[in-house]
Amino acid sequence: MTHFSWWIDGSIVGLYLVATMVAGIMVRRYVGKVEHFLIAGREVDVYLGIASLAATEFGVVTCMYTAEQGYRYGFAGATPGVITALCMLLVGLTGFCVKPLRQAGVMTMPELFEKRFGPRIRWAAGVLIVLGGLLNMGVFLRITGEFLVLVCGFDIHYLGTYVVIMMTSLLLLGTIYTVVGGMLSVLVTDFLQFIVMSAGLIAVTVLILYQVGWDKLTATVTAHYQSGGFNPFTNSELGWQYVIFNTMLALANVLTWQTTIARVLASKDAKTGQKMYTRTSFFFACRFLIPGIWGIAALAVLTPGTVAALVPGATAEKLAIYPMPIYLCRTLPVGLMGLLIAAMLAADMSSTSSYMITWSTLIYNDILAPFRKTKWSERRGLLWNRVIVSLIGVFLLVYGLLYQIKVDVWAYLGLTGSIFLASTASMLVACCYWKRANNWGAAGAIIFGPLVPLAYLAFQQIPATAPWAEKVGPYYSGMAAYLAAGTAMVVGSLLKPILAPPGRAEGQPAPLPAELSGGVP
Amino acid sequence: MTGSNGHEFWWCLTIGCVVWYSTVTVYVAIRGASDIKKMLAHLSEDSPERAASAGESVDN
Repeated sequence: MTHFSWWIDGSIVGLYLVATMVAGIMVRRYVGKVEHFLIAGREVDVYLGIASLAATEFGVVTCMYTAEQGYRYGFAGATPGVITALCMLLVGLTGFCVKPLRQAGVMTMPELFEKRFGPRIRWAAGVLIVLGGLLNMGVFLRITGEFLVLVCGFDIHYLGTYVVIMMTSLLLLGTIYTVVGGMLSVLVTDFLQFIVMSAGLIAVTVLILYQVGWDKLTATVTAHYQSGGFNPFTNSELGWQYVIFNTMLALANVLTWQTTIARVLASKDAKTGQKMYTRTSFFFACRFLIPGIWGIAALAVLTPGTVAALVPGATAEKLAIYPMPIYLCRTLPVGLMGLLIAAMLAADMSSTSSYMITWSTLIYNDILAPFRKTKWSERRGLLWNRVIVSLIGVFLLVYGLLYQIKVDVWAYLGLTGSIFLASTASMLVACCYWKRANNWGAAGAIIFGPLVPLAYLAFQQIPATAPWAEKVGPYYSGMAAYLAAGTAMVVGSLLKPILAPPGRAEGQPAPLPAELSGGVP
Repeated sequence: MTGSNGHEFWWCLTIGCVVWYSTVTVYVAIRGASDIKKMLAHLSEDSPERAASAGESVDN
């Protein structure tokens, strides 16, 4: 039974939505240039950057997959969050890659690659990042829609219909202010969303810790998973491959995840970007552990078979995702339910809008660059960016409706992210710190990095190869992507001076751009 | 709650998350608002150029 009250909770949600939309649309008057639209005129300071980064990197999908990790693996499921926090702190303190990247004064990572590896690599990297990013983001809407339908306690028999309505409404809300105000609207709304989201997350977590209690949470994890519920190395479904894959993924993510990097590139200077990283690092542990505890609480409170009886015909994957929203639906009192839904809407809208503006930036700045023979006027540039954001919205709706995930959500996101993270991370490190890196190596990384994760995702969908894909598993596939991209980068770069005819302009290693030369040891 | 119940690492991390996140939320809310004001003020200074750009918006 739901505690959702249309009068009280509905008013809280309505108030939040009105405030966000008004704030997002009002800043439109400050957007006069493409640079304002895409990177907010590089005027972002530390605390706005922290709020924006935290709001962007926590969506409803984050809440769902981290709760799923908690439900499936206990506290050990929060391991990726701890690893990411450590990577973020390390990169923030040292400025590894992010410092030369910001100092280069580029709008996107592929723009930096062009300086070192040439325009073709820039274009190919742009295509790869957008492909991986959109596949990754393609499942956000559906999962968010499912969460909202379940947590509000709508009639489960019409789950599909409600999900479509929710998906469309969410997309429209986020798209409207993103199209109108670009990154500037995204930043201002991210700030509001960060406050609402954080208030909701903290309040619900404190209530759960008070109601369920630490002893019951740990006892439940011990009963279901023994020591493997606390230690990923001893968990039969996780193991060392899970930890290593997540370490590779976390480091690549911190260095090259476009929505994260977009905040560094929009920051006032490299030092501000590094501060954002250092001071946001612990949030990445929170974003896994807090919803993870919600998932563990669902495991502790819901009796076995509750979810299966409630959602007949649900797949095994859904049976691990649905318990958390169903548990919250039955537990949260009126008022807190409204705050939670507003918080989750905030989380979703900030992520959706930020992701849309990020991929739009890449498409406009890098993929369409060769087609802009003459300099476009600011108005034409803004119009194109707005069209691109709208088209991304249409893609997200269609993909979200059609695609069915066959593994746990985190594994899917890790794999689709690795399609480009493996290549771009190898290229970025080589670009900043290896003098002999060249376009052969970069091309090799772009070709070989995505092969394994794409093949794995395709094999999963084909009945004849699905058992084989299941046997290999997502973690080995993900590790293979990073190893393949790194090896291709090194081998390609070393082969070029041997195989390419000497004296050819493209045969010579490009000199390091001046802004990067300080970063080379 | 009666203590860490033998799982000190996860207990400390959980409590740390709740305390840290609550503190940071309040602090970032205050300082972030100030950052937004400054950002919009800087962008406003850019407005004459913005107006000019908008005026020159005829495509070639």
